[in-house]
Amino acid sequence: MTTTIAQPSYLEGKKGLFSWIFTLDHKRIALLYLYAIIAFFLVGMTLGLLMRLELLNPGKDLVEPTTYNQIFTLHGVIMIFLFIIPSIPAVFGNFFLPLMLGTDDVAFPKLNLLSWWLYVLGAVFALATLVFGDGPADTGWTFYAPYSVKTGTNVTMAVMAAFILGFSSILTGLNFIVTIHRLRTPGMGFNQMPLFAWGLYATSWIQLLATPVIGITLLMIVAERVFGIGLFDPSIGGDPVLYQHMFWIYSHPAVYIMALPAMGIVSEIIPTFAQRTIFGYKAIAYSSMAIAFIGYFVWGHHMFTSGMSGPAAIIFSVLTFLVAIPTAIKVFNWVATLYKGSIDVKPPLLYALAFIFNFLIGGLTGLVNGALAADIHVHDTYFVVGHFHYVMFGGTGFAFFGALHYWFPKIYGKLYNIRMANISFAIFFIGFQLLYFPMLVVGLMGMPRRYYDYLPQFHVPNVVSTVGSWILATGILMMIANLMVAYWKGKKARKNPWHGITLEWQTSSPPPLHNFDKMPEVNEKGPYHYKNAMDQ
Amino acid sequence: MEHSFSLPNSGHNFDAEASKLGMWLFLFTELLLFGGLFLVYMVYRSLNHEAFIEASHHLNVWAGTTNTIVLLASSLTVAMSITALQQGNKKRSLLLLTITFIAAGVFLVIKYFEWSAKFEHGLFPGMEHYSQLPTGERLYFYLYFFMTGLHGLHVIIGGIFLAVVMVKIKSGKVHKDRISLLENGGLYWHLVDLIWIYLFPLFYLIH
Amino acid sequence: MENINTHTPQVAVSQHISSYKLLFTVFAGLILLTILTVLVSTTFTFSVSLAVALALMIASTKALLVAYYFMHLKYEPRFYKWMVIVVLALFTFFVIMLTIDYFTR
Repeated sequence: MTTTIAQPSYLEGKKGLFSWIFTLDHKRIALLYLYAIIAFFLVGMTLGLLMRLELLNPGKDLVEPTTYNQIFTLHGVIMIFLFIIPSIPAVFGNFFLPLMLGTDDVAFPKLNLLSWWLYVLGAVFALATLVFGDGPADTGWTFYAPYSVKTGTNVTMAVMAAFILGFSSILTGLNFIVTIHRLRTPGMGFNQMPLFAWGLYATSWIQLLATPVIGITLLMIVAERVFGIGLFDPSIGGDPVLYQHMFWIYSHPAVYIMALPAMGIVSEIIPTFAQRTIFGYKAIAYSSMAIAFIGYFVWGHHMFTSGMSGPAAIIFSVLTFLVAIPTAIKVFNWVATLYKGSIDVKPPLLYALAFIFNFLIGGLTGLVNGALAADIHVHDTYFVVGHFHYVMFGGTGFAFFGALHYWFPKIYGKLYNIRMANISFAIFFIGFQLLYFPMLVVGLMGMPRRYYDYLPQFHVPNVVSTVGSWILATGILMMIANLMVAYWKGKKARKNPWHGITLEWQTSSPPPLHNFDKMPEVNEKGPYHYKNAMDQ
Repeated sequence: MEHSFSLPNSGHNFDAEASKLGMWLFLFTELLLFGGLFLVYMVYRSLNHEAFIEASHHLNVWAGTTNTIVLLASSLTVAMSITALQQGNKKRSLLLLTITFIAAGVFLVIKYFEWSAKFEHGLFPGMEHYSQLPTGERLYFYLYFFMTGLHGLHVIIGGIFLAVVMVKIKSGKVHKDRISLLENGGLYWHLVDLIWIYLFPLFYLIH
Repeated sequence: MENINTHTPQVAVSQHISSYKLLFTVFAGLILLTILTVLVSTTFTFSVSLAVALALMIASTKALLVAYYFMHLKYEPRFYKWMVIVVLALFTFFVIMLTIDYFTR
């Protein structure tokens, strides 16, 4: 052993508020994001609970119809722009990408800090809609024109928030691409990178090349509202369908901004807890790139009922089915990795398995939506709501909390209570299924989305769904409480509690300020080569 | 505490290749930002063909052509100033950047006169004459002001960028062996030129 | 993808230096093309779609010259060219799909 003096961890070192909010350290920035994102998640969840409460019985019982519209818009804006898009890249990407690549920071640390501040600014704009003007927007998170141009609510500020948050996202993506190209530790080629890094790489390209399109579209909405001119307003010659095109050119790829890093997380957790080399490393890595690429070509499937032309709709429907191929490749490879592995069922693995389960339902219902003829029936029903909550929350949301459980010991150097984590996971998972599965059913029965009211025949599934929302919230609060207890009173974690072999496990928990006290050792046979896992 | 070990691939090192790659990536986002506008332009022009031609007669082709040449010349001087600094000729590099900076000013002044002529004719969205135009022509002028306005904003940002570079060359922070900032300023300036290359025929030259 | 990741020393990478003569030649070409596009649009009357196609072709040639020589794209590693191609391909796809939608309504 060389005699290196133990460096203080990044959590010790400098103290004080300013050493955090103006830090250039990627780990501290990641934690700032973590706290902000969890806070916004809880706000969004509360709004969701409110909506479910209103829908417990048919008819108006809790909020005014307009208020309900504002609640679901705010729920969407917060969950999409403030929680799910930044969630995994900004928190775990920031924290673990440099560690996994064996470097000490991202390529542009100052730009990283700027991204964080843009995020804060965007969040301030989003929250300011609550106070200024006629309250938050009531357009839905999609801001469809012409209603978004005409409504008296504070759409301008909500749209500006989305614009600013978009720039935060672009800069994060730019930073990650350059980091991956320039800062990999010597000996680590692209094909020795962990799959989480691959997922982030694909994500970053989408952030970079899709976000500007929505940026400019939202600016046009602002200009239209401020100057009172019609660009998307049909009464003055504009075309609202064009707005939808422009919006989904970004927002469909954005779905993969949310999903790809989550798939990266699952690809990390599964080999670690199966103690087995991942099956089909290259297939998983390249299918991330394939999903990112194909994701650009399918935006029209959001507009099958919007008055798009028949031939265009057919082409988009066919292209949509292509996305299923690389996605299925990933699922098969994860399952094949588990086969004959020495599986250690710990909370992170449970979350990863829940991801696969939920994503399967979300993906298959997605094919129903993607099929042109079927979509005409289910469009704008609760079937769609159920579908995307299965993909986004059941997929990305579970992966986010799975990552939190996987890397918690590394981030804080503390272990949480495994039993409590398992129990809270079970409650969370059951609540989730109760909450969203009935939505698929009532959707097929024909219940339209985005109304505060519904016909009496949909009553029973809605009651189940609302009860599910309470169970889900209980599970999430228990999980967060468990982690908070661990933060204050948890046992000290070892360097590598799960026996992972990617580079972040080679440094101490929590890592020192400069990440590594000695040169990290790259596993030349690939990042998941568990040497004697089978022989041990 | 003294930091005894440091990684060779540190994110805190200066890396010319990384800063160039980062700049190119940023240019791609700018391209797609304008790309979105070009998509809108394309759709509305194909839907309102006659009106766009009619409305384009309000623009002054000569002002547009002059501005095109001014921008192209400024692109040339930026490229030359990079060559000059690479060869170690700080003075010439600064001179060429000054010319670029002046060209940016000339471009904006010409643009200012063009815009004020439109204002006098009441063609700005919301003004009286504008509101009486048929919808297709209104879309044309809306797009004209939005796109040239956003482009003008980029000219201003590019000018500020180049001014910062000039200060840094003067103080010796940017020099022959550490030229990244000048190169990035140049790349940004060329992008401004690139976009104008498309704006010019699409707005001025449709007959 | 691999080629720009060689761990060269991170300071003072040797760069290509474009000669003044080359830059001037490119500039002259750009001016000529500008004059050409103005002449074509003011003096000749084609069918509208031909005129648009011609104007865009000339503009794209100019853009290519600026990117290739002024922005040093010619001397960059192949990866940069691939990035440009991918970005242009994406944009072209957007154009194609919007065209299909609007012309088959």
